[in-house]
Amino acid sequence: MRTATIEVRDLRKVYAGEVEAVKGIDFDVAAGEVFGLLGPNGAGKSTTIGMLTTTILPTGGSARLAGLDVVADPRGARAIASVVFQEPVVDGGLSGLDNLSLHARLWGIGPEQQRTRIAELVPAFGLQELIERPVDTYSGGQRRRLEIARALVSRPQVLFLDEPTVGLDARIRHELLDLIAGLRERFEMTILLSTHYLEEARQLCDRVAIMYEGSIVGLDAPARLLAELGEEILELRVQGDARATLARLRAQGIAAADAFAIGATVTVPLHGRPAGQALGALEEAAISPVGMATRAPTLDDVYLQLTGGPAAEAA
Amino acid sequence: MATTATGGAVIPIDSRTRGRARSTLLALAGRRARLTAGNPRQIAVPLLGPILLALVVAPALEKATGGLHSTVDYQSFVGVGAVGLVIPLSCIFAGLSVIVDRRAGAQRELLAAPVSRSQLVFGNLLVAVCLSALQAIVLVALTALRGGRFHVSGAGLAWALAAGLLFTVFMYGVAETLASRISKPEEYVGATPAVAILPFFFAGALYPISAMPGALTDIAKALPLTHALALLRYGLVDPHGQSLHAIWGAGNTTVEAWASLGVVALFALALTAISIRMFKRSAVG
Repeated sequence: MRTATIEVRDLRKVYAGEVEAVKGIDFDVAAGEVFGLLGPNGAGKSTTIGMLTTTILPTGGSARLAGLDVVADPRGARAIASVVFQEPVVDGGLSGLDNLSLHARLWGIGPEQQRTRIAELVPAFGLQELIERPVDTYSGGQRRRLEIARALVSRPQVLFLDEPTVGLDARIRHELLDLIAGLRERFEMTILLSTHYLEEARQLCDRVAIMYEGSIVGLDAPARLLAELGEEILELRVQGDARATLARLRAQGIAAADAFAIGATVTVPLHGRPAGQALGALEEAAISPVGMATRAPTLDDVYLQLTGGPAAEAA
Repeated sequence: MATTATGGAVIPIDSRTRGRARSTLLALAGRRARLTAGNPRQIAVPLLGPILLALVVAPALEKATGGLHSTVDYQSFVGVGAVGLVIPLSCIFAGLSVIVDRRAGAQRELLAAPVSRSQLVFGNLLVAVCLSALQAIVLVALTALRGGRFHVSGAGLAWALAAGLLFTVFMYGVAETLASRISKPEEYVGATPAVAILPFFFAGALYPISAMPGALTDIAKALPLTHALALLRYGLVDPHGQSLHAIWGAGNTTVEAWASLGVVALFALALTAISIRMFKRSAVG
């Protein structure tokens, strides 16, 4: 069994005004693993990364990076980690090279190693033509590439990527995803990635934790999370109150507890029940959807079932 | 002392830690210096008002009022007094950079670096001190070129340098504290008249503090700028220490100079400590 590089135990954050952003979460990330934190805006992903990178002080619990407690030894924990933040944080007035060098010096990398690493990273991230230019002249995608390259100058044991592709267009997103996917092959590091793009998580992560309102509501490998919904789901578009329809489906035994309603759509995992049988049951129950389809479940369904479902039902 | 061996050489851990701290500080100061150099307005604008005072207003006032009626030349008196405006303005501009770092996001990368948070403050302070010194030298040099008379000795220069340095540290502490407390640049700029300009009129920059009503003189004596200006004048234009006598009323100029330096040092230490505390508090959520 691989040792945990990131250990999080009962980690909590309560902001002023009793706003409970993270409600006692637990997870481990093994050395070399790519771990995803998934969740809607406000789920507590960025606060969790903030606590792990020592820029937010936890209210309770503990977190360790390679055995270093983020509260007791924050500088030690920062020394083995790098972060790519959600918002661009490079110095626009400095050149790309200045930004890389500054990171190296702050992480205590000697001049010789600095030169070698920068010379290796610049072509790997396609920055050769830009590196001497002020970062203010870079496009959004070029900045992102520079930020990831900068985070790697210190060869971190742990790399945090906080929504690394947010705000980028589709083509640049795909380029970046390829880059990130290549990181684990080129560098031995543990990666914690937060995102609300499910495809991104499925593509990159060994395991994902789905966060909702400050808690982890699901944690497993994407394939295993998908398997929980079975091989086929029935999707119904209904007129009127979708939640009322869902309640009727449950009462008739057509839908189980993991079915959910979002907007005008009711999603029913079939769990091996033939679709025809389910449709027959709908007719018998006099439920007439305006549209219906069966399809294989996606990570979107897992995510919506764990996050959107409870929210919609509670509303 | 603990030691560690690297590649056959034994390096004392204390020296290694000190070397690392120095290198980090230089990296942070280098960053700030490059960003400042890329914004020439930050260098030139704080000088404009004080230069106008020293080169235009002082000669005109001297002509209109007959000067100080003492051995001290009024143009150099105001020229040095204008340093009391250039340093606060320069430090306030430097503090604005902290807000820009925070709002533009660059501060997050610095906070995630394995450096102590106080080093982030000291890196900026180092550049603020160098820039203020450069601006003060330009101001004094222009005053001299305009005809101001200076009396400079080695000891006098040391007093002036110590006073200028400590006052800059104090003012940067004020600026950094404000930058930690205020989130919007426009609100921060709104505080400039109160912290950078108002004390200038009470600290004897344009006239001796004894020329003001008694109550205002007492207020002036409590301002660090009054003590800093008295020391700058003692070092550069007034070897008899008339500004120091106006504060302390004692006979021994050296004792008065040490006392004033102590006051400025105390303010500098206090504001540096407060600014670091405020920065740490505001930077970490």
